[in-house]
Amino acid sequence: MTRAAAAAAADAADATAAPDTRAAVSVRALRRTFRTTGRGSGLFTGRLRGRRRDEDTGERVALRGIDLDIAPGEVHGLLGPNGAGKTTLCKILSTVLLPSSGTVHLLGHDVAARPAAVRPLIGIVFGGERGLYERLTARQNLLYWACLYGMSGRRLAERSEELLEQLGLGAHADERVERFSRGMKQRLHLARGLVHDPPVVLLDEPTAGMDPVSAHGFRDLVRALRAEGRTVLVTTHDMAEAEAVCDRVTLIDRGAVVASATPAELGAWAAESERVTARDVPPGVLTQLSALPHVTAVPPDAQGRTVLRVGEGGDAAAVVRLLLDAGVRELATSRPGLEEVYLRLIGRRGMEVAR
Amino acid sequence: MRPPGAPRAVRDARAAAAAFRVQLLLVRRSVGDLRVLFTVPLYALIFLAIAAVSGDRSLTAYAVLAPGLIALWSMMLFAAGDLITQDRSAGRLEAVVAAPVPLFTVVAARLAAVAAVSLISLAEAWAVARWVFGLRVPLVHPMAFGVGLLATAFAMTGTATAMACAFVLSRSARIFQNSLSYPVYLLGGVLMPVSALPGWLRPASRLVFLTWSGGLLRDSLATPAVADLPGRLLALTALGLAGFAAGGWLMRRILTRVRAAGTLGLA
Repeated sequence: MTRAAAAAAADAADATAAPDTRAAVSVRALRRTFRTTGRGSGLFTGRLRGRRRDEDTGERVALRGIDLDIAPGEVHGLLGPNGAGKTTLCKILSTVLLPSSGTVHLLGHDVAARPAAVRPLIGIVFGGERGLYERLTARQNLLYWACLYGMSGRRLAERSEELLEQLGLGAHADERVERFSRGMKQRLHLARGLVHDPPVVLLDEPTAGMDPVSAHGFRDLVRALRAEGRTVLVTTHDMAEAEAVCDRVTLIDRGAVVASATPAELGAWAAESERVTARDVPPGVLTQLSALPHVTAVPPDAQGRTVLRVGEGGDAAAVVRLLLDAGVRELATSRPGLEEVYLRLIGRRGMEVAR
Repeated sequence: MRPPGAPRAVRDARAAAAAFRVQLLLVRRSVGDLRVLFTVPLYALIFLAIAAVSGDRSLTAYAVLAPGLIALWSMMLFAAGDLITQDRSAGRLEAVVAAPVPLFTVVAARLAAVAAVSLISLAEAWAVARWVFGLRVPLVHPMAFGVGLLATAFAMTGTATAMACAFVLSRSARIFQNSLSYPVYLLGGVLMPVSALPGWLRPASRLVFLTWSGGLLRDSLATPAVADLPGRLLALTALGLAGFAAGGWLMRRILTRVRAAGTLGLA
């Protein structure tokens, strides 16, 4: 049996797993492949470009049998590097892309078999500046999209006004979108995704382009959505954001789930103990520190900042003492955050795009 | 949280009205989309000049209607292609498809708005005849002309909807647009009578709605009673319905295909 056939057989077996009927979103053995144009061994085939493809079948695998359950009212973060499969999963959930195999249920409806039942239940916010009618005003955009979701009359007008005000666009409601900044467009995207009052909200990198103040405002908005009982799936690269708003996070990489837990559980699991951050550590001291049991030193960054990880059984106090004795005065100890977990699980791969 | 609960037909009708209004707003704010209307007076000048030189008064109706029908077809042809292409390249197509209202309904309503705007071209041609050539072209049978115009807009919208649905699959709609102008004008008897076409080609012209609408509108400008008005209206309506039916069928098939292939949003 070839590797591809074995994978397909495994997928078929997994696909029989029943969805969790209590979950707002239930994903089982979800696999999605894309046909690639560069088959064979031409100059521009995947191997020469360093891409990972199943060349026997001329396919690129975007999702490799994902299982995921999101409880009603949960804010769930989907984290992963570029090309990990986050947007592919979002597109399948939003019914614009069909799975190659496996199932996805949203509030009990199969998104592939019953898209018409799913569409009114989900609000979608695709990230980026695109996706709006630039020559229309914010209000005209919002009213139009709301009509496509079956809204009308007083409810439509009230909801549109409410969202424009809530997202800080009230004063700009009658300006054309082409004059908007990237952040303002992003807010209008958010309004569009929420205008029909959906029980499930899908946010695909919603703060891309927002300034820090607006991004904080976004966190308040997500908390408000949770307080209203909505289920939220948010994809992001912003670890602080995920840590701040998500009840649970799932890390995916190369189309597979790497870990799924609360941010606190992931932090505790990935870094059993503590880390010490120090500046301008003399090289000799760094060598001494690295020699201590269960201590790992990351080489200094451009600002001269060194991170020392103290694993289970290590003595963080000894690390701090050694640093102070060496005259290092700028240091801090902390528990690892989600960013640390992400980097440890996904790895440091620089600018490489996982495919 | 309460997902909208209006009956599907009511919901779709409201959405169609919204799409119609939005398209009117978009057209109003884009001079480029109205470029065809700027060429109508020029076409009218050429055709009316030819008719005047020939001395054949019967050609006046041809000369007045031809620029309008050309503009109607041309605007719809470009709108059919550009509507999908622009929504796709601007990242809107996926969002529209993800909405509960069918893409087919949105496309048909937006094209209907373009059809309504394109009817301005007939008034332009009339104005050129009146103010440049001093010709009065009376509407001898205004009722026949009015319903003929409505049926023409309906048939045009149906045909354009079918084309637009096919363009969901195509990433090069412009090639089709460019190749579907003059052949259709000739086949539809817009530039010259269908009777001047080779005999083997004439049956094909019966399948082009412009043949029926051009004939009906021209006859409504002439003194004799309009022959077989119900039959011609029926033909126009049937061709429009065929366009809508083909569009609906194509849209379902093509959307399933692009959702499976993952090419819906690829420009």
